Amino acid sequence: MEKNNDKDHDHHDDDKSKGDEKNDDVSDARLSDDAHDQDGNSKENLDNVVKTETDLDPGDNVVSQGEEAPEIQQTLESLSEELDQLLSSLSLHKEESSIKEGSTEEEKPEDDYFQIPQFVGKFLDLFEDKLSKYDSGEPKTTWYQDPEEVSSLLEAVDRVSKLMGLLLNTKSCLDHHEPLINHAGSIQQRAMAFLEDEFRIILEESVIKEPAVVADDSSSQRKSSADQQDHQNDAVVSQDHDQMIVPESGDQEIEYPGYPEEVVVVLRQIAEKMKAGGYGWECREVFLVGRRNILMRTLKRDCEFEKVSIDEVQKMSWDTLEREIPIWNKTFKDCSSLFFPGELKLAEKIFQGDEGNLFCIVTHGLAIQFLGFAEAVAMTKRSTEKLFKILDIYETLRDSFPSMEELFPEELRSELRSEVTSARSRLGETAIHIFSDLENSIKSDSSKTPVPGGAVHPLTRYTMNYLKYSCEYKDTLEQVFKSHSKMEQEEDKPAETGNSAFASQLMRIMELLDGNLEVKSKQYKDIPLSCIFMMNNGRYIVQKIKGSAEIHEVMGDTWCRRRSSELRNYHKNYQRETWGKLLGFLGHEGLMHNGKIVKPNLKERFKSFNATFDEIHKTQTTWVVNDEQLQSELRVSITAVMIPAYRAFMARFGQYLDPGRQTEKYIKYQPEDIEDLIDQLFDGNTSSSTATARRRT
Amino acid sequence: MRPAQDNQGSFLGRISIRRNQFVDVNNEQEQEDLELFQKHIADRFTDLLSPPPPPPQQQQQPPSDETNTVVPTTATEQIMSVTWLRKLMDVFLCCEAEFKAILLMGRDPTQISKPPFDRLVPEMLDRSIKALDICTAVVNGIDSVRHYQRLAEIAVTALEQRPLGDGNVRRAKRALANLVVALSLEDKENGGGGGGGGGGGGKTTERSWSFGRRSGGSSTASKGGATIGQLKSSSWAVGRNWSAAKQIHAMTANLNPPRGNEAAGLPQPMFIMSTVMVFVMWVLTAAVPCQERSGLANHLPVPPKHLNWAQSLIGIHEKIGDEWKKKEKKGSAGLMEEMTRMEKLGHSLIEFADGFHYPSEKDAAESAAVQVAEMAEICKRMEEELVPLQQQIREVFHRIVRSRAEILEVLEQAGKLSAPVV
Repeated sequence: MEKNNDKDHDHHDDDKSKGDEKNDDVSDARLSDDAHDQDGNSKENLDNVVKTETDLDPGDNVVSQGEEAPEIQQTLESLSEELDQLLSSLSLHKEESSIKEGSTEEEKPEDDYFQIPQFVGKFLDLFEDKLSKYDSGEPKTTWYQDPEEVSSLLEAVDRVSKLMGLLLNTKSCLDHHEPLINHAGSIQQRAMAFLEDEFRIILEESVIKEPAVVADDSSSQRKSSADQQDHQNDAVVSQDHDQMIVPESGDQEIEYPGYPEEVVVVLRQIAEKMKAGGYGWECREVFLVGRRNILMRTLKRDCEFEKVSIDEVQKMSWDTLEREIPIWNKTFKDCSSLFFPGELKLAEKIFQGDEGNLFCIVTHGLAIQFLGFAEAVAMTKRSTEKLFKILDIYETLRDSFPSMEELFPEELRSELRSEVTSARSRLGETAIHIFSDLENSIKSDSSKTPVPGGAVHPLTRYTMNYLKYSCEYKDTLEQVFKSHSKMEQEEDKPAETGNSAFASQLMRIMELLDGNLEVKSKQYKDIPLSCIFMMNNGRYIVQKIKGSAEIHEVMGDTWCRRRSSELRNYHKNYQRETWGKLLGFLGHEGLMHNGKIVKPNLKERFKSFNATFDEIHKTQTTWVVNDEQLQSELRVSITAVMIPAYRAFMARFGQYLDPGRQTEKYIKYQPEDIEDLIDQLFDGNTSSSTATARRRT
Repeated sequence: MRPAQDNQGSFLGRISIRRNQFVDVNNEQEQEDLELFQKHIADRFTDLLSPPPPPPQQQQQPPSDETNTVVPTTATEQIMSVTWLRKLMDVFLCCEAEFKAILLMGRDPTQISKPPFDRLVPEMLDRSIKALDICTAVVNGIDSVRHYQRLAEIAVTALEQRPLGDGNVRRAKRALANLVVALSLEDKENGGGGGGGGGGGGKTTERSWSFGRRSGGSSTASKGGATIGQLKSSSWAVGRNWSAAKQIHAMTANLNPPRGNEAAGLPQPMFIMSTVMVFVMWVLTAAVPCQERSGLANHLPVPPKHLNWAQSLIGIHEKIGDEWKKKEKKGSAGLMEEMTRMEKLGHSLIEFADGFHYPSEKDAAESAAVQVAEMAEICKRMEEELVPLQQQIREVFHRIVRSRAEILEVLEQAGKLSAPVV
């Protein structure tokens, strides 16, 4: 029965001493074992022993194979065919017998036993040689880039696995062929270990460096990236090969994780073969570890993302944290739209039917980490400048999480969702707190020194710019105020219908600002100046509000109209306070006596007018009106009041002064001069330029 | 037992109602509360220290380990077992809830903003921030443990095969080698601390291995080498220069028992709670792989022995500390009871694998089978309990976050109350 053994050895003697030794061992073991079997069997299993040659359909083959073996060179390929035939007939046989067996196992056990033909051992030996070659790095090209190699290797692995499956599941084989099982199992393990290693290498090294490339030129793209890898000499898979068929879909993008389709196919095949051989867990583990590391590397490379501890976030300067937040935002968004879906797809492609398990292990910890950062930022010491970055995070969670959570299976999804809800609450509460901080800081801003020239107060500037900016987030803020305020008063009141929570927050801040400005305006001893101050600030506020559609919408037209009319009142007050007095000098009363001009009085009038006007000019050129429109409104309205009155006065009384010296002395200004000088008001000119120094040219 | 746990957010409401009624905190009532709190702490930790007695054979586990044929069904409640750690988390949550009630309920908010609380409260809040990072680190660490578990499962699967052949044994050895390397590398690797240092372990094994194969080391390289590679700690750590040891150190730096008349009041439960928190965090970092924890075995200062509530806590601390000191020299991934057994079994099974020749000797195979069964049991327990433990730690995380927010809220209110209305 084992007559072929020696011949078998002969012809591959020269292959390798090592392999040979092993082969000897095995063969010997097999021999003795079989011999022993035969003896042993004679007692209880004698009936079961059915000679392969007679029992099996392809038995003829086996016999002839045995005989021809010495003459023709056996190859892995030629033996593969035979093994396939054997396997299929055996499994057929086994099926039949197991059907029969189903009822009465004890009665017909004899069908179970078959002799394993010699070439099986030969096949295993040749396969082991092949593995040794791979191990020694002998093939110059990387096997997985050669479709022929891929199919030959994987099919061989498959045969070994099937063989093992049959051997292990057939009682007689277990009884009689244990050494063969051991030998085959050993080679299977070696093959699986090889595949495991290769799987990792392919996983880690075949990523095209730049993902998301449109694949119009995909083949050249692949080629060039393949060239980057030192051990890849051969051009990528030729498309026409039957095993590696990847429909060359030229219009597909190679997006993250950036494996060429044919690589994914190889990975999938390896995973399948490993699973079929019972080595699926190893493959999954390699995948998990590899993908986690690759994902982190990718996040670092593409998003500059690095983990930061919560404690560290608390200690970071705002400058630093401010830079971290956009990175976080980008990372989270990219994970949601690109990286996580890519991981899920890849896992599903390679491990079909995995249903997201691997994906979860790869990404879950990272997702938790992301949320930790959000919490950490919400925990930092509050300051108004942080509001917008906090809202950015809030929005990112709101907008990008839903598509991320979709990727996770139900159980984890709800867990993550509650984590996100918690993080959002924290962020929302912080945002609301920041507004109440802003309220407090407006309330308590009590700088004692008035702003020179009645200009716009920094507080106004700051508050308005802040509010304007915050209105760019108004929908988010509205949502934040609705969902996260937990002030007691709001609990009691049923939500005031239609009233926007954020709008009322803004109104409250505006009122506080108004109140504060009112107090500040009292710091000016000069009433006109306090009017200018109020006008400046009021105008600034209105302009800011009109200048941005968002805040305008929140504050509303009515509010703006009311503000404008308040401004007009200040304007009137100012006009009256400053220019009313000056106009008084241009009245006619007291200048005429019995139809005659009282010259000294007239001279006095001119003198007083000039002096007062100079004084006003001197003071009010230092006053500040930055808003050009307001400035010109003021000047125009002053001119409109002053110039006609002055002209009329001049026309009426100028003639009474003697031309020459007297006129020059008392009529200091022509109306045009006055006009020019009025145009110099509110320039914030602190250099004490006198009116005369700037006479008209 | 958990008075205020489920209605976070409504604390404020209650306080503001009760504030007016309890303008002067009832001193006697408070004393009673404090004593009760201490008693509860003592009781809970006593439970943890002496769990219901395990079946007798488990008691003599360490000496008889090699040849031990004890069926590993016990040890569920043993200190540092997953089950015990889960209990510890429950204890923490209970203590925390009770403490928060004492600190906040029915109390005039201005009280905790005055000295010495203006120092004690911020210190406590800072500790809680650090605890959060430890929670994150430990959750990551448990991810690593699950990786070990999967490796162990591979080994179990392989060694459960019958007939047990060379292939099965080599397969198991490969997985076990990965496991053992992971278990012993983790600490050193994490010890690297710096971003560049992390991941070195994984890389090294990988390189030496692939060098071996490519340079024609034939089959030996792929027979037993550790190859799956490690989760690179740099990628899964908490932050680049984060160190569990430093954080624990910082948490204990200003943690002193209250003296004088402070000892009778609120500072006492604050000290107790902080001690419990630091202790629990210390245990967690000891239990599972955790970024940079060198020196922690010795570090944790224990509360003075005369304090009644602290007795059992000190007892547990000593037990774990001793174990840790022993392990620290060798470098170990964690003291979780299942992990240490897993490591021992791993080594012993590798030994079995090294000495294995087909066909297997009956005795060796039988004793290996027992170990495999124990390993399978450990895996099963890990499978059942690691994820729940992870979830509990997340819960602890969120609880700390919430409590912190609530305390700050109260302080804020106090600030408003005490600040003159402008």
